[in-house]
Amino acid sequence: MAAAQASSAPRRFFKSFELVVGLLLTGSMCLSVLFSGFLFPDGGESMDLMARLTPPFTDTAHVLGTDPLGRDVLARVIVGGKISLTVGVLSVLGAVVVGTLVGLVAGYYRGIAEILLMRFADIQLALPFILIAIMFLAILGTGVNKIIFFMIVAQWVQYARLVRGSVLALRDREFILSARAIGVGNGRIIFTHILPNVLGPIVILMTLNVANNILLESSLTFLGLGVDPLIPSWGGMLADGRTYLQTAWWVSVFPGLAIMFTVLGLNLLGDWLRDFLDPTGQTSK
Amino acid sequence: MAGFILKRLLQAVFVVLAVTLIVSFAIRLSGDPAIMVMGGGNVTEQDLQNIRQALGLNRPFYVQYLSFLQGLFVGDFGKSFMGGTPVSLLISQALPATLLLAFASLLTSIALSVPLGVYAAVNRGRWPDQLIRILSLVGLSFPNFWLAIMLVLLFSIVLGILPPSGMEGPESFIMPALTMAIILTATNMRLVRTSMLETLSQQYIMVARSKGLRDRVVLYKHALRNSAIPLVTYIGLQFGNLIGGIVIVERVFNWPGMGTLAFDAISNRDYPVLQATITVLALFIVFINLMVDVAYGLIDPRIRTE
Amino acid sequence: MKFSTTLKALGLTAAVALSPLMASGAQAAGTLTVAVAIDPGSWDPIDTFLVDWSSAANNIYDGLTARGADMKLKPALATSWEFLDNNARIRFKLRQNVKFHNGEPFNAAAVKFTFDRLLGEEGRKGPQQSNYTSIDRVEVVDDTTVDFIMKQADPVLLTKLAGYGAMIVPPKYIQEKGDAHFNMNPVGTGPYKFAEYSPKVSLTLEAFPEHWGGAPKLDKVVTRFISEANTQVAELQSGRIDVATLIPFGLAPTVEKSPNLSLLSITGPTVVSLRLNTKEGITKDLDVRKALIMGIDRDAIIKAVLLGHGKPIASFQADLSFGHDPNLKPLPFDLAKAKQMLQQAKVPAGAPVRIDFRGNDATFREVVQAAAGYLQALGLKPALQPHEPPVLLNDIIPNGKTGEAWHQSWGGWTFDYDNNAYLMYHSGEKWNPYYNDATLNALLEKQRTIYDVKEREKVLQEIARYVADQALEIPLYNQNTIYGVNKRVKSFDAPADRRFRFTETTVE
Repeated sequence: MAAAQASSAPRRFFKSFELVVGLLLTGSMCLSVLFSGFLFPDGGESMDLMARLTPPFTDTAHVLGTDPLGRDVLARVIVGGKISLTVGVLSVLGAVVVGTLVGLVAGYYRGIAEILLMRFADIQLALPFILIAIMFLAILGTGVNKIIFFMIVAQWVQYARLVRGSVLALRDREFILSARAIGVGNGRIIFTHILPNVLGPIVILMTLNVANNILLESSLTFLGLGVDPLIPSWGGMLADGRTYLQTAWWVSVFPGLAIMFTVLGLNLLGDWLRDFLDPTGQTSK
Repeated sequence: MAGFILKRLLQAVFVVLAVTLIVSFAIRLSGDPAIMVMGGGNVTEQDLQNIRQALGLNRPFYVQYLSFLQGLFVGDFGKSFMGGTPVSLLISQALPATLLLAFASLLTSIALSVPLGVYAAVNRGRWPDQLIRILSLVGLSFPNFWLAIMLVLLFSIVLGILPPSGMEGPESFIMPALTMAIILTATNMRLVRTSMLETLSQQYIMVARSKGLRDRVVLYKHALRNSAIPLVTYIGLQFGNLIGGIVIVERVFNWPGMGTLAFDAISNRDYPVLQATITVLALFIVFINLMVDVAYGLIDPRIRTE
Repeated sequence: MKFSTTLKALGLTAAVALSPLMASGAQAAGTLTVAVAIDPGSWDPIDTFLVDWSSAANNIYDGLTARGADMKLKPALATSWEFLDNNARIRFKLRQNVKFHNGEPFNAAAVKFTFDRLLGEEGRKGPQQSNYTSIDRVEVVDDTTVDFIMKQADPVLLTKLAGYGAMIVPPKYIQEKGDAHFNMNPVGTGPYKFAEYSPKVSLTLEAFPEHWGGAPKLDKVVTRFISEANTQVAELQSGRIDVATLIPFGLAPTVEKSPNLSLLSITGPTVVSLRLNTKEGITKDLDVRKALIMGIDRDAIIKAVLLGHGKPIASFQADLSFGHDPNLKPLPFDLAKAKQMLQQAKVPAGAPVRIDFRGNDATFREVVQAAAGYLQALGLKPALQPHEPPVLLNDIIPNGKTGEAWHQSWGGWTFDYDNNAYLMYHSGEKWNPYYNDATLNALLEKQRTIYDVKEREKVLQEIARYVADQALEIPLYNQNTIYGVNKRVKSFDAPADRRFRFTETTVE
């Protein structure tokens, strides 16, 4: 295959480049968010109306300037990552757990579980996602937990379909059949033999979905369905800062860059993982 | 084959019905259209009762839902709660606007992703390949509303060469379509690249090359044609997501499409408009998925049995 | 600015590539384009309450009375009126030789038709009827005289006749073409006649030269519906609209620094306050409520967040409002005293104050965050809960599910304190989920029966004072109506209530 000849030096360098840059971007974002409590004990909430809209790089107390209420943009960008990352990570974890379980059951036992899953997936595919998100948030009210809950509801099907597909391909393979023949229980077969074999594609999809959901959270905030504006969040800063784009660009450009770097890092990692775990490209998104 | 299509059709009908039921039910869970009609100001309970009566909201849910379905079959979506505009009129204006934008976005994306993907595949592993792949990821890393606002700032305010909103001439398509296309291109480019690589390694391409056909001819005539199928399929399946993204882009560019219509309908609790827009969009998505399925069933008989 | 220079450099290539497409920035001569946020969906006066409807439709229709940009009442389709039978009957003399746009004559029958429709079956389906329930019926005296028979006293009736549901509509046209047709093809007696309506996009009006007040100076007035404030301003900056009506205060400097635009800022009807929960939470205590008012620097908020485009208020009404008392002063900002009062009331540090508000109001999002900042300084723990308007209006407020405070923002177009006060403070009203006070109820009921202007004003002022004494709300400000206007627009009489009338306006 052509893959062999392409494993040339620049390609290998590029692969590790993706990994290094991806880790660097995502890692540094995660770390600073993790330690934001120590860096900014006030949580970016201290207000000073007299110092509103201080431009960046002019005041050492506010390196990235201040927002329309005189709050420190740097502090809010760092602290604001909390919401975005929490939403991104928790929603994906929730969807993975639910989706994987359903997918395993549907693929392994087939029957009614599978039929239900497939019809449910059809319905989900036919719904314009953002509109449904807007509708549900409007109805349920806003809040971080509701946004996460909704993302789980909307995305578990992706994992369920993926896992079901992989299980279907695996269940009649020799090593499963022989395990069953020597009397290994179904539960053990699923968790020790099948699950490890479907992890690769799941991890790839997860990385990409964390990135996706961070963007989604910011879009929902943009549409006015965000969380308490006192709690800094990237989406909220972008949305509120758009009013000031022409007079105080820093209010929304820095959170925009924070989102971009984080999501880019995750995408690079996802890309690297894809080549690493799934060279045949089944999960090409 | 006929059995397969019939089965798929029945499934499609089921899906659309389920979608209408979910939407009709969910939108009625909170908020009251009567108060939106009244504007939330000087109202008494009696006024609200009058409005609910006039809008038919006093009937039980199943009656409202069935009358919506009944209307659906005869092509009558009822009237908007806000001002009584016939919903079919609103949709007949909004649907073409959204489809045109979707189409323009796809075209722009194809125009960007095919040459980029081919170029990346031909230069596999070398720096143009890496550069293109990284740039496509960067394009995927912006929230789309942000990208849209930045484009408006650049092209309308600073340079003053494109209209910032509305659907008027062809020039008004450039920014919305570009916003959508940048996001689509990241994934489409990858697909083109992968399938190009596969095709390029196949026997007949080798043969064609060995016959001395010029590289460009080989690329575009043989290889590209073969990599078109997965691309088209993928785009078909992505239609739902595309519509989702368009909702936000429509908002920024004040595009008079289905997204704007549905968004307003949600905030006004305008049930007839919301039910109709989502049903129509779902019909489109289901129809396109059905076409993809049937096409695949025709090409590959194994799929029919699944 | 550095940032825009970078943008310029970036865009240079694109500019060259796209220059053949050069958007036609300049507007056609004689055409004025206005942007409003919402398409009302119907142009029938009885179908809507939206200010955005009036921004356009005030040019299509006339009422019996009219109110100019100076907010003074003047004759319109009625040339004079008199109060008879101890105010139970109001007699209007009608203007002669007035025609509707379709040629139909305007006369007493048209007035009767308009009000029969508004007060009857057709009107019941819409939001306008409830504003006019004080009218029992309209009687035709002769072709140019009508009598309004009143069911009860209505001190603001003459103002109400100047807008919205009281706009006079053509009987024959509506009877022949039907209501649905009229919604989409309105006909009135106003200075501009309907030309084209494209739902969710725009409404085009053309001059009606035979208008009784003289021919309007513009050829066309186009109203475009743009719900994103940033988009309205971008359109304004690129010269594609002439008047923008949706400008959050944060965007005001952007308009001000654009060389081709001017920012108009005038005292408007909209007042904003944080109403307080008198039933639960720390706000149950009168002294705590007063402490909260004194702890929030409202002047600073007006200066820093509204950028000066507003005025402090002492009661929930604008300066222009009937019932406004210039002698009533708001409690002053005094952080130390407020802290002390909280201590005396034994409010623990970190006591929660939840504020429910409309999440889609860009300006208020900032205001409420600034207010929360002051509450933090008082040692309290504020939490902000944004809501979608239908949820806030239909569930959270009427069902008493608010936190300690909630957002109330109203701009009654009639400029009468009764409009706000009765609905907000009388027990059992939809907008008063918590408070019940016999004294206040009695005052509110009393003023509704008084015709004597002076006496009624006194009672209204008493109500305002009572509400301030009980600290039922934190009165924040009366916010200005602001417009972004292209400098090519001349003789534009900017009305505080956004009900435009473009008879004298011209464009270069």
